[in-house]
Amino acid sequence: MQKRKPYVELTVSGLASASLYLLLYLYRDEIMATFTRTDGWYPALPIVAAFVFSFAHGAFTGYFWEVLGVTARLKR
Amino acid sequence: MEAAAITFFELEALDVFALLVIGFIGGLVSGFIGSGGAFVLTPAMMSLGVPGVVAVASNMCHKFPKAMVGAYKRYKYGHVDVKLGLWMAASASIGVWIGAGIQHDIKAAYGEAGSNLYVSAAFVIVLTVVGAFVLRDAWKIYRAGNTHLDDKPSRLARWVQSVEIPGTMVHFRTSGTRVSALFTVPLGFATGMLAATIAVGGFIGVPGMMYVIGAPALVASATELVIAFAMGLGGSIKYALHGQVDIRLTLILLAGSLFGVQLGAIGTTFVRPYVIKVVMAAIMLIVAASRGLMIPVYLTQLGEADLSQAVMAALGSVSFALLVLALCTGGIIILAAMLKGHRSQAPALPARQAPAD
Repeated sequence: MQKRKPYVELTVSGLASASLYLLLYLYRDEIMATFTRTDGWYPALPIVAAFVFSFAHGAFTGYFWEVLGVTARLKR
Repeated sequence: MEAAAITFFELEALDVFALLVIGFIGGLVSGFIGSGGAFVLTPAMMSLGVPGVVAVASNMCHKFPKAMVGAYKRYKYGHVDVKLGLWMAASASIGVWIGAGIQHDIKAAYGEAGSNLYVSAAFVIVLTVVGAFVLRDAWKIYRAGNTHLDDKPSRLARWVQSVEIPGTMVHFRTSGTRVSALFTVPLGFATGMLAATIAVGGFIGVPGMMYVIGAPALVASATELVIAFAMGLGGSIKYALHGQVDIRLTLILLAGSLFGVQLGAIGTTFVRPYVIKVVMAAIMLIVAASRGLMIPVYLTQLGEADLSQAVMAALGSVSFALLVLALCTGGIIILAAMLKGHRSQAPALPARQAPAD
């Protein structure tokens, strides 16, 4: 049976990922100045950003290969 | 506000493109052999002009989310030994913390060139020794003609498994081994130390799990992703506290590497286990040669050698060309092995299938 391809999920996660990267590009100078501060809780910012981007972009890349039909060959 | 102690490099459009491409191939290698994105990414970033410590810090901050995505994917394939990963990760975290401290002290004492020299020297020594060993093993498997078989534990691993130390024995179910924590803890610590130095602990971790503990190559490479996540997170926090993470580099790398890590993880379900060793050895040895060429350049910058600008520029170019070769070699072997595995895939999968062939 052919499994439904996750086109909707691909679109939603793709838009989320693209929005995050657009924000990074638009505010790159402010982000760099803030994210390299070493006082207070500022050092947490790069870590949190890496997590947030990986959830959105990780979901997108997963759906991307699935939609292209590149899926695992599982041994059972 | 404390001023960041580093200078960040200017990003051009071409640099962004290069980071996306090397991120993708680094991710592909990483998803496939469990580690290895960084040994290409760190020197590649350094060749683009990123200072050594910023390259290591930014790379490490991109490594843990990438490893998290890869580990999740390979966990679903049944490759990850979570318990072994957590044991190794706990001891590796201590190694990362100490290694990052050493890196920081070297930069403070000897400056940028000293830091670059230290990172490059560590690359050359570790990659040459371990890479040659893994290549010898892969060659032996190839010569014996049993490439389709799952790996057998090495003589060392059989001895390690036979050592009974009461109160320290741990059973690792997915790896199918029972060993003393007195072996796993030092191995994890060494993995962490190396990770903090060259941002790639996997070249101790994966061969260590294969040849010392006796885990199969598929399990070792997948479990490394759990360790990479923990080490990457620990190391990133340490570097972030020093303001050394260039978040632009981190997130651009992540954009490419998350495509790669998913593809690499899928790839492991298509290939024979020994291909993991071939890819690992090939890339390690080429990168070692690449970094070796840069050592005289850093020595000149430290005033310990006397090379002309033209020679230094030539060495830099050849070094970068070798990196590109390492990247392409790894990527091509993985994609070719995937294609070969895909072509030989039976139209209907039997319920119990022999190893991929």
